[in-house]
Amino acid sequence: MNAIIQNLSTPSHLPTTEEDELKGYGNLDEMGRIKGMQIPRVPDPTAFLNLYTDSMSSNPEAKIKLAHGTTTLAFRFKGGIIVAVDSRATAGSYIASGTVKKVIEINPYLLGTMAGGAADCQYWETYLGMRCRLYELRNKERISVAAASKILSNIVYGYKGRGLSMGTMICGWDKTGPALFYVDSEGQRLKGDLFSVGSGSTFAYGVLDQGYSYDLSDEEAQELGRRSIIAAGHRDAFSGNTCNLYHVRENGWEFIGNYDVSQQWYEYEAKKKAAREAASSEMAVEV
Amino acid sequence: MEYNGGSVVAMIGKDCVAIASDLRLGQQSVGVAMNFDKVFPVNDKLYYGLPGLATDVYTLREQLRFRVNMYRMKEEREITPKTFTHLVSSTLYEKRFGPYFIEPVVAGLPSPTELDPHPKPFISTMDTIGCITTPKDFAVAGTASNKLFGVAEGLWEPDLEPEDLFETISQTLLNAVDRDALSGWGAIVHVITHDKVITRQLRARMD
Amino acid sequence: MECAFAITGKDFVLIASDMSAGRSIIQMKSNENKITPVGPNLAMACGGEPGDTSRFADYVDRNLRLYHIRNNFPLPPPSAASWVRRILAESIRSRSPYAVNVLLGGFDTTTSKPHLYWLDYLGTKADIPYAAQGVGMYVTLSTMDKWWYENIERREALDVLNKCVDEVKKRVTIKFDFNCVLIDKDGVHSLDLKSQDPIAELEAKVAAMKPSDPEPIIPSSDAPAIAAA
Repeated sequence: MNAIIQNLSTPSHLPTTEEDELKGYGNLDEMGRIKGMQIPRVPDPTAFLNLYTDSMSSNPEAKIKLAHGTTTLAFRFKGGIIVAVDSRATAGSYIASGTVKKVIEINPYLLGTMAGGAADCQYWETYLGMRCRLYELRNKERISVAAASKILSNIVYGYKGRGLSMGTMICGWDKTGPALFYVDSEGQRLKGDLFSVGSGSTFAYGVLDQGYSYDLSDEEAQELGRRSIIAAGHRDAFSGNTCNLYHVRENGWEFIGNYDVSQQWYEYEAKKKAAREAASSEMAVEV
Repeated sequence: MEYNGGSVVAMIGKDCVAIASDLRLGQQSVGVAMNFDKVFPVNDKLYYGLPGLATDVYTLREQLRFRVNMYRMKEEREITPKTFTHLVSSTLYEKRFGPYFIEPVVAGLPSPTELDPHPKPFISTMDTIGCITTPKDFAVAGTASNKLFGVAEGLWEPDLEPEDLFETISQTLLNAVDRDALSGWGAIVHVITHDKVITRQLRARMD
Repeated sequence: MECAFAITGKDFVLIASDMSAGRSIIQMKSNENKITPVGPNLAMACGGEPGDTSRFADYVDRNLRLYHIRNNFPLPPPSAASWVRRILAESIRSRSPYAVNVLLGGFDTTTSKPHLYWLDYLGTKADIPYAAQGVGMYVTLSTMDKWWYENIERREALDVLNKCVDEVKKRVTIKFDFNCVLIDKDGVHSLDLKSQDPIAELEAKVAAMKPSDPEPIIPSSDAPAIAAA
């Protein structure tokens, strides 16, 4: 227990001797705890980092452009949780990658989504997976989604003001049923039924809200998640390329598929046109 | 430039030139219109593209249309690509201390004259205040210009026939804008030959 | 912070705008009409810097009316849009620019076609079938992308519009009230979004008015159709 408490308090100091460095593994000590992140040795590390890195657009002129710009969404419905994300990573206006995995498979029954700093999300959610496994070994039962998200929230809150940038949704199924939490680097942690995070989130909401109901069938829910990501990928310059879709059920998550945003968009437009033509030919028949 | 996004590319072929642009009009990250053509004709042998700030695209286009029409009436002949380039350049330099945020690209086929019976295809490009460069291969401008340079450098070769030039410029534009967040949303290509202009809309990525 | 959106359909344009006005965090009014009719079949929703908006709307209205009087014919929507754009483009490079974003919708009676123009304070113009300004750009564009289709009928277009209003109320932290106009061949009509079937009410009103009371050729300065809700 002490170990956990120690870990939840603010990160400990930098390793001072080489001996310390040799213990443990990489950034972790022999107990698997984070030893503490190295911080630039300047009077004001936050101001220094802000000058050179572009975390959450605080300084668009920054030389080091961290990958961001995203649309992610997750919602709870009677059949579980749908998680849908895009796959674009941008550095400035340059599309650095179109095949990013923005859903982090923490373990077979927990998913985390990635918005904000790609490295921040990837690192801390992988670490969260480790902590969840340790919990499982210690307590002989799976961790609740609430507890898992609280661990993540506690960690990032410890680094508040140091420039971490993440907006993530932790989704899973525990004793209480499907559960969905939003956790961000400000330390905010919200339980909810429907969230969307990232630069394209407003566009995703625009489709999601108007089609959402708790009683959606599995197919309808998957289609709604996919359609919302396509809508956001279309309108938002910093989202797009492909959509990754996951469905969380009682026995864990399932990867539904990967869809090309542009191809899907053309399909939706074609369907709209076909529906229109069918309707007008029906009208012609009636006349 | 980055406010509205958009890119233009022009290429020289064998007795033909091509000019192409994307169709996106955005307001920073939000796409607003997918029908915003940035390439305009002066006559059927001369086209120009105006990537940059959208308000200046309209203003400069109106200004140039006026000046070309005045030229036409005074001279009673069509303007040549070279003269038009200088007209655009001096129009830009007029606003030296409050420039139009546009990097124009001009592409044209000069008509044969007595002095020059076999004129070469012509392209040129300018910076925002009118410094002219006249490349012998291709010209690029806009938010995807870095990417266009890369792809064009790899795909372009001398003396392409109109159909091959169309393929080259199309692939160049499509692959470059697919790596640019602020360009895309459709594309349009014009290939200018001595007897006709081939204009085609491309099926581009819409994200 | 403002919010407006517009949809074109088969033979009409719908424009909706928020009605809030105030300074910094204080809302001083929640029923300020921001949609100005600027011609018999032309209306404009203005958002942006308070003060600039109403003055700009007046300026456009008076000049378009002057054109109408001089030529005994109103400026058609595409030409009006070009003119408004030019005013904005000249203003942005002047000493005191208008900080106004505009949605200009109109019905061209010569070609029987609806037109919608999206204009921003820089003088950017986009000719598009549906559009949004202000915070509406972020939350309602995707809604319209999904539900709008070409040659949409009035009731369906109003459904899409109501979806947009609903979305803004759901996702934007500021509370907005909306008013709405419909522009068609008969002129600029205000729609009551709260009523059961605004389209039926409008049809009844137009039918009642038509035989005895033809539309005035020149719109009066406070067009009765646009009395603030």
